[in-house]
Amino acid sequence: MSRSMLEQAVVGVAPLKGIFITAMPDCLLYDAWQRDENDLDVSDVASYFGDLVRSNREGLKALGSWSSDMLVTIESADTLVVLQELNEHFVCGSIFDRDAPLGMVRLHLKRMVERIMDQLPKVEAEERPRGVRLVEFVRRYAPDPHAAILRISVRTGLTTEQLDAAEELQAADVEKIEAAARRILGLTQINL
Amino acid sequence: MDPDAIAAIRTHDDQRGLSFFGETPYVYHCHHYNLFHDQTIDDVLGEERGTQVRTAAARDAFRQLLDECFTAAGAQTPAERIGLAQTLFAAMGHGKTSIEADADGGGRITGSHLHYGLCWREKYGQKVKRFDPADAVTAGFGIAAVELAHRLHSGELRAIEKLCIAQRDPTCEIELSRGEAPRPAEVLGKSRVGSSPAQRGLWEDQIEPIVEGLLQFLGGVAGDERGLVQAFNVFVTAHLSNYYNATIFEAMHELERTSPAVAGSGEKLFREAGHVCVFNTFGNILLSPEWESLVGPLPDDPEAITAFNLAIARSLGFGHWLVPEFEVGKRLVLRTTTNYEAPFYINRYGLADRPRCYVTEGAALAFAVLAHRVKWSQRPSLDQAFYDSLFRGAGLGWETEVVADQARGDDVTEIVVTKSS
Repeated sequence: MSRSMLEQAVVGVAPLKGIFITAMPDCLLYDAWQRDENDLDVSDVASYFGDLVRSNREGLKALGSWSSDMLVTIESADTLVVLQELNEHFVCGSIFDRDAPLGMVRLHLKRMVERIMDQLPKVEAEERPRGVRLVEFVRRYAPDPHAAILRISVRTGLTTEQLDAAEELQAADVEKIEAAARRILGLTQINL
Repeated sequence: MDPDAIAAIRTHDDQRGLSFFGETPYVYHCHHYNLFHDQTIDDVLGEERGTQVRTAAARDAFRQLLDECFTAAGAQTPAERIGLAQTLFAAMGHGKTSIEADADGGGRITGSHLHYGLCWREKYGQKVKRFDPADAVTAGFGIAAVELAHRLHSGELRAIEKLCIAQRDPTCEIELSRGEAPRPAEVLGKSRVGSSPAQRGLWEDQIEPIVEGLLQFLGGVAGDERGLVQAFNVFVTAHLSNYYNATIFEAMHELERTSPAVAGSGEKLFREAGHVCVFNTFGNILLSPEWESLVGPLPDDPEAITAFNLAIARSLGFGHWLVPEFEVGKRLVLRTTTNYEAPFYINRYGLADRPRCYVTEGAALAFAVLAHRVKWSQRPSLDQAFYDSLFRGAGLGWETEVVADQARGDDVTEIVVTKSS
């Protein structure tokens, strides 16, 4: 989607502060638009939104309450964030002014999503190797991100060069990375 | 032993830039460094082995200190010795503890404000769930205190932390019992710390009065009612350099034996610990009101900031650090005629076959980064995001080369930091 297309999709949505389109399942930024220039790391924001939607989906599935048209609404101090799955390949995160009426927000969302869906490419997702996704997951969520790759390296015995080419690793090495990731992130299991 | 008596055994060797409790060398580090250090030990060795190594290192280091303190204070009975140990541990900023132990060494240590557990919870608790307890230093200290109180040989007690506030328990509780434990290892004492004659570097006339002022300030620093030292926007410990050195070098040697291909990753992590130290401890000292009242407002001047960092290093007990050459924006040479790493290495292992001054090397690079890339006059917030912007990945912009290391037998340790091309 070109920048001008995303800009077109948000025309007339006055309370909208920003919108992020995340490609799933890897939670990578596909496109973004913000009303004001700021120092946000849009890739990080898109990734966190993608992970949040995935966690929400898995949680609701565990409860038997999941449906594909769910919305996740977060009311923070100064913003209203609405996350939704557009389809199995894309997640949309929209940030509105905090005082925007919820009914109006939903109406805006419906119109925006229709415009965006028309522009999204038809994709056939190619699942990337689990080792690559694990390394990216740790980079994103490790409490000391500056040291994440080195920490995996000493825990697994794999060099940083091997970790940079994680798609070439054998299954046993990927298991080592997963064990290290669980330790570093304090998780009993990792759902990617 | 009252606080005055503790102060009486604290000395600072101006020529060597090292601090001692009696014979025992100590150094100030903040909780950011302490947590990163211990985390790296566990990353390299795994949690079980890492905890064992950290506990044994703390036991050996505190045994040296407590043995001397008990003798100096004339503490004879177990109650006197345990009480003195608890007072000293809290005064150093490690947290208030309660030690109960019977004559054969069985017992427990409790504390609700232990430096490691509490700081881990404060820093990481909202982000990560911890699977293993954090207070190996307290465990090792407790073993040493009880062994000496009941006149047991070192290596007869073991400690297992059953509850830890880092794991969301309401308090920390460490169980002591008789059992197999690592054999004691030799630690470094003041009389065996060698050094080259002190040298003068750039800006000495500026550095020396700051060192004097900082030492006066640090002389009054002691644990609060929790046994913690909260200063300069961080939690600070007066910690035993034998602990840091024993754990780093044991971990590195083991990594070199078992996974030599990733020994370089371990070295980078321990150098990173030097970045973490300078960014957090040195940086927060520079930004503190105490600093402003001692030295004045911070200029955006790389030479002045580097001079300030040298003064801080000497005051905190890192050794006699100096800069003989400095070219703004291009090159910084950090030389130490003494540092706290090399004497330990030589004393325990003999001459090194490669550079072993990991924290010093990491600190040298951080000196260059803080001097050139931080707008100190704008008083930045030293948070994780700012750290990442300075030290993460390709943004670093500076590189180091160790051209001399006392651990290898050179007269001095010297690190050349140059701007990356």
